[in-house]
Amino acid sequence: MPRENEGAVITRARLIWLYAVGRRVPVAVLVMVACAAGLRIALLWHWDTYGALQLPLIFETAAAVSIVATTADPFGEPERVAGRWLPFLRLAATVALTAAAVALLAAAGTGGHLAGGTLDVLRNVAGITGLGLLGAAVLGAGLSWTGPTGYLIAAVYALYTQWHPPALSTPWLWPARPPHDLGGATCAALVFAAGLVVITVRGARFRAGDAD
Amino acid sequence: MTAATRAPSAARPRPAARRPGLPTLRLLRLELRHNAMAWLLPVVFALFWLVTYRKTMAMPPLWNVRAASLQTGIVADFAVPVTGAAAWMGSREARRRITDQVMITARSRWERLLVTWAATAIWAMLAYLGCLAAGYGVTAHQASGGGPLWWPAAVAAACVLLFCAVGFVAGAFLPSRFTAPLVAIAAFFVLALSTEPIHGSQSSWQVSPIVTGPWDAGVQAGVATFYPFQPDLSIAQVMFLAGLTVALLGVLALPAGSVGRALRAVAASCTVAGLLAAGTAVGLTGTGSMDAQGMLDIPALHDAAGDRPLAFTPVCGRTAIPVCLNPAYAAYLPATASALAPLLGELAGLPGAPARIVQEPVAYQQATGNSVALQLPRPAVSGPPVLPLVLPDQLGQPAMTAAQQANQVVTTYGPDLVADVIGDGHGASQAQNAVATGLMMAAGLRRLDVYQLPAGHAIPGRQPPTAPGGPDASRSPDVAPGTPAYAAAERFAALPSAVRHAWLGQHLAALRAGQLTLAQLP
Repeated sequence: MPRENEGAVITRARLIWLYAVGRRVPVAVLVMVACAAGLRIALLWHWDTYGALQLPLIFETAAAVSIVATTADPFGEPERVAGRWLPFLRLAATVALTAAAVALLAAAGTGGHLAGGTLDVLRNVAGITGLGLLGAAVLGAGLSWTGPTGYLIAAVYALYTQWHPPALSTPWLWPARPPHDLGGATCAALVFAAGLVVITVRGARFRAGDAD
Repeated sequence: MTAATRAPSAARPRPAARRPGLPTLRLLRLELRHNAMAWLLPVVFALFWLVTYRKTMAMPPLWNVRAASLQTGIVADFAVPVTGAAAWMGSREARRRITDQVMITARSRWERLLVTWAATAIWAMLAYLGCLAAGYGVTAHQASGGGPLWWPAAVAAACVLLFCAVGFVAGAFLPSRFTAPLVAIAAFFVLALSTEPIHGSQSSWQVSPIVTGPWDAGVQAGVATFYPFQPDLSIAQVMFLAGLTVALLGVLALPAGSVGRALRAVAASCTVAGLLAAGTAVGLTGTGSMDAQGMLDIPALHDAAGDRPLAFTPVCGRTAIPVCLNPAYAAYLPATASALAPLLGELAGLPGAPARIVQEPVAYQQATGNSVALQLPRPAVSGPPVLPLVLPDQLGQPAMTAAQQANQVVTTYGPDLVADVIGDGHGASQAQNAVATGLMMAAGLRRLDVYQLPAGHAIPGRQPPTAPGGPDASRSPDVAPGTPAYAAAERFAALPSAVRHAWLGQHLAALRAGQLTLAQLP
């Protein structure tokens, strides 16, 4: 490899690493690993129906908010002006972290009795992450957790109403829909896509104190 | 010089009179204006409406049911936003990198943090009081008996304060962008998890604030209606929640530099006292057991005066045989009385018919494992014949409308009322079965469409039907369409009511004795 190309690769790798560290990506990955471990331990327990359905959703939401927390921008305007690779870095980091969260949680459920299976994990993590990304664009990354965590309560209640009618069956509350339900999956995908586009193009709203 | 030195010196400006507490109030005002909890109020109200308000207001307008539902629902709704907002506020100094700047201010770190916590708690409590006012206000308009239960409201309030403390301490000690969401989710996780280990009514885990009574019994409409509400569990819960809150707020003063030595000792004492209170509350809850009224009795906190039934004047319908309900259930009276009226009109005045039908409480008993047995009231042995009535709501069945309840009452009690008068049942003659069926037809009830009580429940002294909605084969096996008995039943039902009643008055004794045949029926 010519020395110039080698230098460029090292520079890019360093840029990616600095971006990841600046956004606390390693901490987010650690949180996701902890979520996966927690889910694995929880699946060893004997739960009633509520617990079996609601526990994975809680861990999925925790993983999603840790992804969203990485959108906090520590530099603000100077970085936005100078960093032309920033949109791509934001897109790549978010997609990679979402994929990692899904993979880790799905792996944690392998061999256990994970309600809904991998499809459920994929749909829920993607959709709830999308909600958080939209929240980050509007409220700033610091308060972006309000959307996903509020949604968690609504979704847990929607799951509860499956046994206590009248059931909340709107596809916008996708965690309460079966894993193969097209409506729920579509809504989750739409929210994730919207969040991804907004966070790629605009980034999170900058607010002092969000990025620590 | 001398003159100059002797000249009166300019009067020193007198320091403004200090009003103790005023600077703290000003600080609190500033914190209230810049508090994240204020921005989360829409989230709180939206969750309350979606999760709690709609569900609670669809329940019967009984104070005990609504208060229990509001306690559980509000605790679940507030857990995430309040804990998260408090964590966000607790981590503010570190997030904004102003820890060193504010370190040199006149206020100690503990005092500053407490004021910020108080501002967060005030916003959270305002939201809570708004939600409570909505729930209790509507219930006050709809309920026909009893009054607001304030102990469940106090539990939820104490829980909201604890959420503030948990989040705030987490934010203050672990300031990070991840703290607020993760501690909020963890709070909800612990809350949801807290009911899993509950087994039986003597579980210490019932100290969890989402538990409103013996966990296995669930929210029972009949509880705290015929007997006063027993606040034993609520007292233990408030003690537990307040103890933890005080302990956590005391912990804020423990790091070096937070406060002077004396105050730190006070804070440490608060922490220890709070932990002791919380531990005591857990221990006390473990000594409780479910009483016959379906509430948790904790011996050390129990007031025996609360075991006496509440005195009330029942509300009665204007039916031939009066149907009387507890005033708290007055909303069900028109539908129930109207549904029973045709049948009661047929039976009134006949030997064996009750003089009154009166709503009674059910008795609760802890069964093996996590199940709860309900015992239905038995008819009084002496005095005028009174039929004890239990509404489906009292049996812990899913919420239903007044009309649905009335329909169930008729299908449950109708056949038994007729059987008591006619002597229908095992060993009865064909004539008895035919007359019983005819009476049910005349009253607009399908004789064979009998409601079955839930498993484990039975009207004392009677066998439940064999299958829900199916024929009661044990009672009148001969009366099926196409049989002579069925034809006689139809003939009897077609008679004018006065004629039927007069015939029964004359021939009931012979009919009950089995001396009449189908041919002798009118």
